Amino acid sequence: MLEDSGFAQVVIGPPVDTFGGATGEPQARSFDVCGYAFLAHRA
Amino acid sequence: MSNETLVDVETLRTQVRDKYREVAEDPHGTHHFHTGRPLAARLGYDQAVVDVLPDRAVESFAGVGNPFSVRRIETGSRVVDVGSGAGFDSFIAATQVGTTGRVVGIDMTPEMLAKSRATAEQLQFGHVEFREGLAEALPVEDGWADVVISNGVINLCADKQAVFAEIFRVLRPGGVLQFADIANGRPVPIEAMRDVDLWTG
Repeated sequence: MLEDSGFAQVVIGPPVDTFGGATGEPQARSFDVCGYAFLAHRA
Repeated sequence: MSNETLVDVETLRTQVRDKYREVAEDPHGTHHFHTGRPLAARLGYDQAVVDVLPDRAVESFAGVGNPFSVRRIETGSRVVDVGSGAGFDSFIAATQVGTTGRVVGIDMTPEMLAKSRATAEQLQFGHVEFREGLAEALPVEDGWADVVISNGVINLCADKQAVFAEIFRVLRPGGVLQFADIANGRPVPIEAMRDVDLWTG
């Protein structure tokens, strides 16, 4: 989607266990939800 | 991320605004995500930078990652923070760009804007301002920004393609988008994706 929007050189950082230990953890685990940092440049 | 709008835009927006009003007014209450200083530590923010920020700037932080982990913002940069909340990431950006730079935080929740503006005044950060607005209609002129940041916001927008188009509009050519957001490793059933309650709960 980023590239479709005109961004290039997309880099994705490692996953972060954003919801671990929070009440939303079971829901997040059921879909392997993690946080990521993204870097992209406007063409 | 899909470019299909699966839920009613206004219904979702109202629920998100209600949820983050709660986070602004009761940051230590029961939420399905972590908040505040423990969350900042969990996400790998520089503790020395976080420690000097007042509680009001940090306690309602509800990001999902660290957009500064992929790149430090250059001194003098002009930055837009999409969905700035109580201003946590805007203030981190402000320390990186220095007084020769500018940071504009955009948020749609009045209670978050009140907190971020009060903190900017307390810190005497004249190079930071907060504007009311939507991610799909940023109150920023074309090509103004060198950098756009965001944290845990785009996943809460029904029309992600519209958000990225708007970010593209406000960035100068060659400008940088650095943001954090969630992504799922397993497919979410379509019926769940159409359930607006699951977007915020």
